[in-house]
Amino acid sequence: MLKKLVGGILFTTFTFSQTTVNPQFSVIGDLVMDHLHKDPSLLTSGIEIAVQGYVNPFARADIYLHKHNDDSPIELEEAVMTIERGLPFGLGLRAGKFRPDLGKINQSHAHLFPFIEVPAGMAKILGEEFWSATGVETNVFLPLPWYSNFSLGYFDSGISSHDYSDYEKDEDDHDHENDHKDKDDHNHDDEKDHGREKQTNAFSIRWSHFFELNNVNHLELGLSGYSGKDEQILGADFKYKWRPNKYRSLTLQAEVLQHSLEDEYMEKAVHPDEKLTVAYAMVNFQFNKAYNFGVLIDYWSLDLADDEGMNPSIFFGFSPVEESAVLRLKIGQLERENDEKNHKKNLKTTIQIIWSLGPHKPHRY
Amino acid sequence: MTSTTDIADIAKIIGGDHVTVTSIARGNQDPHYVEILPSYMLKVRKADIYFMVGMELDLWAQQIIDGSRNRKVLIVDCSVGINKMEVPTGQIDASMGDIHRFGNPHYWLDPENGKLIARMVAEKLINHDSKNADQYQANLTQFEKDLDSAISIWTKRFSNLKDKDIIFYHNSWPYFSKRFGLKTVDFLEPKPMITPSPSKLNQVIQKIKSDGIEVIASESYFSDRAPKFIASKTKVKTVKLAQSVGAIESADSYINLFETNLTILAKAYGVSYD
Repeated sequence: MLKKLVGGILFTTFTFSQTTVNPQFSVIGDLVMDHLHKDPSLLTSGIEIAVQGYVNPFARADIYLHKHNDDSPIELEEAVMTIERGLPFGLGLRAGKFRPDLGKINQSHAHLFPFIEVPAGMAKILGEEFWSATGVETNVFLPLPWYSNFSLGYFDSGISSHDYSDYEKDEDDHDHENDHKDKDDHNHDDEKDHGREKQTNAFSIRWSHFFELNNVNHLELGLSGYSGKDEQILGADFKYKWRPNKYRSLTLQAEVLQHSLEDEYMEKAVHPDEKLTVAYAMVNFQFNKAYNFGVLIDYWSLDLADDEGMNPSIFFGFSPVEESAVLRLKIGQLERENDEKNHKKNLKTTIQIIWSLGPHKPHRY
Repeated sequence: MTSTTDIADIAKIIGGDHVTVTSIARGNQDPHYVEILPSYMLKVRKADIYFMVGMELDLWAQQIIDGSRNRKVLIVDCSVGINKMEVPTGQIDASMGDIHRFGNPHYWLDPENGKLIARMVAEKLINHDSKNADQYQANLTQFEKDLDSAISIWTKRFSNLKDKDIIFYHNSWPYFSKRFGLKTVDFLEPKPMITPSPSKLNQVIQKIKSDGIEVIASESYFSDRAPKFIASKTKVKTVKLAQSVGAIESADSYINLFETNLTILAKAYGVSYD
């Protein structure tokens, strides 16, 4: 499935495109260090490769690949064709593998996070790499006086299983023992993350609004929904931004997702009516051309099990040369499960160095 | 719709009562970087024509236009026909700073290029709305006449600015300097869009002292810190110029943009301009 998808998009891009101009190539590299890991302290590093361009006057294609700095294979993050100005009635369409329009944070690539890592609560529902699935999504501007967009998507794999389908198919296609090992390892990790069986087919919806209050104040509101096999998610998000000039801004952003669980979560039995609620709230202040500072509160709870956790952290960013390189620091509490209801709390310091070549940049203020 | 206020002002003059013109960037914004807001897409959705600056200055415009899902909007690059300055040759890359592959894109800061923009706007409006073609043509003729007259007056009134040495913060002004005879001797940015470094500031201070340079001029959106630091170490005067219509209050039209900037410079140099 994965190979067909990538092949199809590349074929379309390079065969039917009405130009001989090369697409844009960008590379974003990063290096993350934290003090919790013993030897060595370099935790992860890798690159994201972006290939972007117009297929024709009405559609564009975006392909994102990620390669960790280890023996793991190159991962396809997204390979999507977007029809933006080719459909009637203000319709837009995305088809391929991409991050569905579910909540605010799911569509963001990790290098855009001022707080370096995915909020732990959000990862409990969306996964460490967030939900990226193969499918089709349409969206439309609603005829309201402000910007109001409604999107509806159908996907071949749900949140609980978004990595499984590709691996299974790849295993069918190849029969290499090493591949099996890598994939089995990865699947095992995913099971740890999610603790649920593979599920197929899912729908997502989102209704988002944007209000330009005046030249310097903007407000975004969104409601999201997801339905997969025996699981539902509801979400709401909010973002306020004050930007009096290019080098000063204040962003307040918060998002909550509630996931109706089945009978098991993280390999533990839970009540059939159990709900996992996750949320984060962020304040980010850019106080001059190069520096920003902020606070992140990361929260999750299992309602009926009366189990919850919260990780506050502060973060700092330094971007010396516009958007081409960023140094980030985060100091925060990391809560880890010791036993059923006890959580061990550690102070975790994380440093990230991130750089870019080409037009796809590591952050946006 | 237009990317910048300069093209918007010209489009309002040429279009008159038959057009409604909105600019995405405000006059006091850096046109290189405009945050893409969904509300801009909604505005472009209703547009018949979008006039871009081009030459990769307003790269953000394409994303706004695409996001508008407006299938019918005509996209016009106003830089077509401009005699481009500082077109780089040979290999270019990010080590040279934020360099523009197709030349310096601040061409609207030469009033002669304002006439070329106006002709482009008039041509597209006439093609799109032929029933008001006579009106657009008449407005163009009048605008060119007004601008010619203003250029002739500026050339005489501000002739004392000719051959004056000047340091700019960013390289936005080659078209302006060429038209009015200013000699650009340095920039505060070591390379385009790179923040002035201490060594660069020190180098500029030495140059001001040795060459007797009188004025540092910067765009309205840049911080005052570097120019004021240099002024504190030398006798140089620092001024802010309007890089676009609306960047400074008195620069409220395309013609007043030049009147404002030339007056600010004449006062800074202490030369007569009446």
